Parts: sequence; structure tokens; C-alpha cells
Amino acid sequence: MSTILTYIAISDGKIKRSSLEVLSHCKELADKDGHSVEAVIIDKDASSFVDGVKKYGASKIYVVEDPIFKNHMNTPLLKALANVMGATSPSVFAFASTESTKDVLGALAANQQAAVLSDVSSFELTDGGIKAKRPVMAAKILADAEAKGEKILVSVRSGSYDLVENEANSEVVSVDFSLNDGELRTTLKEIISVSGDTIDLNEAASIVAAGRGVKDEEGQKLITELADVLKAGIGASRALTESGMYDPSLQIGQTGKVVSPQLYIAIGISGAIQHVAGMANSKVIVAINKDPDAPIFEIADYGIVGDLYKVLPPFIDELKKIKA
Amino acid sequence: MKFYVGIKMVPDVNAPLQIKDGQLIQDADRMILNAYDASAVEEALVLKEKHGGEVEVVSIGSPKASETIRKALAMGADKATHIQTTGNEAYDSATYARILAAFFKDKEYDVLSFGKQSQDTDAGLTGGMVAEMLGLPFATNAVGLQAEDGKLLVKRQGDSGQEMIELPTPCAVTCSNDMNEPRIPNLKGIMASKRKPMEQVELSSLGLSEDELTPKTSVTGYEEKPGREPGKKFEGEPDEIAREVAQLLDTEANVI
Ligand SMILES: Cc1cc2nc3c(=O)[nH]c(=O)nc-3n(C[C@H](O)[C@H](O)[C@H](O)COP(=O)(O)OP(=O)(O)OC[C@H]3O[C@@H](n4cnc5c(N)ncnc54)[C@H](O)[C@@H]3O)c2cc1C
Ligand SMILES: Nc1ncnc2c1ncn2[C@@H]1O[C@H](COP(=O)(O)O)[C@@H](O)[C@H]1O
Repeated sequence: MSTILTYIAISDGKIKRSSLEVLSHCKELADKDGHSVEAVIIDKDASSFVDGVKKYGASKIYVVEDPIFKNHMNTPLLKALANVMGATSPSVFAFASTESTKDVLGALAANQQAAVLSDVSSFELTDGGIKAKRPVMAAKILADAEAKGEKILVSVRSGSYDLVENEANSEVVSVDFSLNDGELRTTLKEIISVSGDTIDLNEAASIVAAGRGVKDEEGQKLITELADVLKAGIGASRALTESGMYDPSLQIGQTGKVVSPQLYIAIGISGAIQHVAGMANSKVIVAINKDPDAPIFEIADYGIVGDLYKVLPPFIDELKKIKA
Repeated sequence: MKFYVGIKMVPDVNAPLQIKDGQLIQDADRMILNAYDASAVEEALVLKEKHGGEVEVVSIGSPKASETIRKALAMGADKATHIQTTGNEAYDSATYARILAAFFKDKEYDVLSFGKQSQDTDAGLTGGMVAEMLGLPFATNAVGLQAEDGKLLVKRQGDSGQEMIELPTPCAVTCSNDMNEPRIPNLKGIMASKRKPMEQVELSSLGLSEDELTPKTSVTGYEEKPGREPGKKFEGEPDEIAREVAQLLDTEANVI
């Protein structure tokens, strides 16, 4: 019997759903083959999240609590992750693929001499390792990948697995943590955050995404109005994060975030493969574009050919009526 | 400041490709400089122009990778090192990282710069691995760089906002293409690149064992991503089609 460890990501005072998706999947794998599944929470208030993790069936929950984890910094996070790996020697350590995970995964693998597969869309255990599917070539193709070794790290794209509740009587183990002055080396000078009440795109049920076709404030107002009606998160193509019209954190695609909402409405977005790479797994895709040959229509379930400035007002109006 | 930038030749994801017997068949003529590496080169050049110093690019790859290296030289990098492989090796990020770390081990530099990920595999691992192997402080997913005496100021894109991070040099950083618009080499740059030094280094000279060069991960095959069913396209009077689709989202797709 071996141990599968799952990293529970905390963001803005909440457990990231994607890490519970990974925990749910690991629990299923562990039950099938008689392994144990454990979880680790690293945060300034780590113990306050224990109950939220117990629901998903971890037999042991490691808690690393220290004020330094208030904001993401790679040096302390790496040290804490290495400590926990030392304490429990997992054969597989699974993460949700967030920016914070991406920041430490390679370094942790090097530090632990572990084999690593990043950003997989599914994985299974094998004899002596794991096998996984990884989207490659701007997510046009799936690669069958394998990792072998005593220690394996894997990060999973958000939305790859469903949440499965499985309440366990988890043992809670607190892990000591300290960092000497000299160890930190890097200094976090400032955090430039988007306003706290924006919807986490990885968890949004609906996303309204704006592209270069949205040219001005009037267009942005329509986007906001539509998002409000649907209680949707707002995303953007690179064209508009680059121009400064939308915050870079909202970019969806290969460079930006990978999302998989129930409903994705692409407005004035052409559908370049690098954008599609981030949203093709949405359940229902709506495209509004004035060019009938725009590639986005090839993947849209509902394509509206038209000028967004003319289409959005009645679209919003009709949705309001439906909602009322 | 002395910059080393790790650059990689990658297949153009826009080029047609096919899967045959689980193998990926790509157009061999459509190899390009990884877009994220082009941004890393660009930013190093900007900082060099501002503060002086040197930009050297390093690439591990087949003889063909020299074309990619020339492109970086034509952009303005001062010199290059080409660590030769046959191109048939199935190296993963960790193998490339071990080779790069072995190369950098006895070099002097202020900043090691990388792309945040390879455009073809999206692995995003090499930069952090090299930093850890060499014991360097590092930051990933940089969207802006500033240099100060003995320091590199990195603006990185985090999950919900940007972080400003100060790193003492020597350090390592991985770059996003959100950082800048890489310059297109002009004719003068292209001519000059032909006279710039490109040192050839034999992989065997770096003292790596067979074990260190054996990847722990492998790709066993490729498959098409399951496609989406073609949907419905609505053309006509904006008011009508907009309301029709809104209704269908409620009654047919059930997502409202
Ligand atoms: C390595 C790499 C990574 C990248 N990563 C990303 C990424 O993460 N995310 C991303 O989005 N892009 C990314 N890109 C860029 C990508 O290739 C495209 O350039 C970008 O997605 C284009 O954005 P867009 O669709 O908004 O603009 P455009 O391609 O210019 O499309 C604008 C569309 O709006 C339509 N339009 C114009 N006016 C109207 C109107 N009034 N009404 C209706 N429709 C209208 C036009 O018909 C057109 O189809 C990346 C590129 C590279 C090389
Ligand atoms: N063969 C290589 N030669 C030089 N640099 C490389 C090589 N492979 C990866 N890198 C660097 O690592 C980055 C990508 O890492 P990864 O996504 O792990 O492949 C690239 O943007 C380069 O900066």
C-alpha cells in the first residue's frame, strides 16, 4: 500500500474547487487499489479549512500553518511541500494546476528528484508510476504520457474531475514550519490585485468573454451587463488584456487561464487556437461574431452572426425576461 | 547585467499536423523559436540597452536548431551556445533542465531567463527545475522585468493578480509573452547575426551520466482530441436571432 497525497490550494480565503476535484479523483484511485489518500493544507489559517477537506475522504490531513503563507511566495511554499513529502513519502503527489502550483512544481520535482507531469487532463495509477493524458500543440492533440519512479508529481487542469463527497474521519497532523531570515531571499514588494469580488474563472458556471470586437466603453458596458444578468465571470482574449481594456488575470487561453464552465459566451473573439486552448472544454459555447467565417463558429454550439453592438441589447433583454 | 536566455526550437502549432499510428507527424519546415522564449530574449535586450551588459542565448537541440539560434542573434543577442543533440532523443523538461544546469554550473551571470513554457507541450517546468538545481532564487510567469543594482524586480502574473517580487542576482526567471512584443529582426540584424559567435558544445562534454540523461517521463502516443459536434449558426435580423438563441439557451441547452 502506498500513499497518494493531494495539495489543497487556498485562494482568497477559500479552498480552490479544482483541488477538491483532484482529491475526489485520488480518493477513487486509492480506494480501487487499496492505497491511502492524504491531503496537505498550507496557509496562514490552514486549520480552518480542515473540515472542508474531511468531506472528500482524506485519511490524514497535514496542516502547515504560518503567517508567511498569507500571500503566495515560492520559497516558503517549496520548503513546506518538501517537509510534508519528507513526513509522508507519497508515491504520487497530485496538485490542481493553478498559477501557484505552476510556480513551484518544476523546482519541487528537482528538489525531490521526482518524475513530474504537468497540466494533465486525466491520470491513472500504473505499476510503478502513472499514465496521463496531456493536451499538447495548443490543446489540439492529446498526448499519452507516462511517468515512472518512486515519487511522482502530477498537476491536473481544473474541471477535469467531478467533486465526490466521501466524509472521512481524517487524522489531522500539524507539520512544523520555520524559515530563517536568510532563507527567503526573495521579497514580495507589492500585490496588484483585481478587486476581490470578481468571480474565480476556474469555478465560474458561466463566463462572458470579450475580444477585439469589443471596441469601446459602450461595448464593455454591454459585456458587464450580460455578465450581471447571468451572474457570470468576465474573461477576455489576449487582444483585450494586451490593450489594457481588461486585467491580465482575465486572459483565457494558452498563456492565460484554462476554464471549463457550463456556458461560455465568446463575443467579438475570432477563435485563434491559443484562445480555444483555454475554453474548448466548456459545456455550451455561444459565439457572437460579425464574420460568418470566424473559426470560433467551428466549435460553437450556438453561433450568432452579427454585430455585437446590435446583437447584445436584445440578447440581454431576452435573458432578463427569462430570468424574471 | 549578464543574461543567459534558454531558447528552444518548437514546431509551429499553426502548421498542419497528423497522427499516424499514434505518432505525431509535423511539417519539418515549420519549426520556430518558442514564442515565450522570444519574449525572454526581447526583455533581456531591453534591459541590456538600458543598463549595459550582455545577452547570450543557449539552446539544446538538433543541428537544425541553429536556425532558431540565428533568429535570436538577429534580434540582437550578442552570442550563442548550441548544445548539440541528434534531435531524436525523447528528452523531457527534467532532462533539458539537467543539461542546462550542467552548462550553467561554472558560468558567471546575473540572470538566467527562460520561457514560461514550451509552446508545443505547455510543460512549464524547465525554468524552475534549473533554478532549484543551481540553488537560485527565482520567479515564474513574469510579465515585466526591471533591473537595479544587484537586483531583478519581477512583476509576475499570479492566480488573481500580479505580484511584484524582488530577487537578488544571480537569479532565474521564466517569461510570459504578455511581457512585450518581440522585435522582428531587420535586415541589418540578420546580416550581423551571421558574424556573431555561436559556440558548439558537445553534450558529452558536460559530464552528465547515462542515468541523468534518461527521462523519467515519456510520451507513448498521440490521439486527436474528441471534437465538438458542429452547432447551429444563426444569421439574419439581430433582434430576432439574439432572442431566439437566448430562448434556446434556456429551453434547449438548460444553462440559464
Ligand atoms: C504563444 C501564444 C499564446 C497565446 N495565448 C493566448 C491566450 O491565452 N488567450 C488569447 O485569447 N490569445 C492568445 N494568443 C493570441 C491569439 O493567437 C490571438 O491573437 C488572440 O486570441 C486574438 O484575440 P481576438 O479573437 O480578440 O482578436 P481577433 O483575432 O482580432 O478577432 C476579433 C474578432 O472580432 C470580430 N468582430 C469585430 N468587430 C465586431 C463586431 N462589431 N461585432 C461582432 N464581431 C466583431 C471579428 O470578426 C474577429 O473575428 C496567444 C498567441 C501566442 C502566439
Ligand atoms: N532544448 C532546450 N534548449 C534551451 N532551452 C530550453 C530547452 N528546452 C526548454 N528550454 C527552456 O525551458 C522553457 C520551457 O520549459 P518547458 O515548458 O518545461 O519545456 C523554454 O521556454 C526554454 O526557455
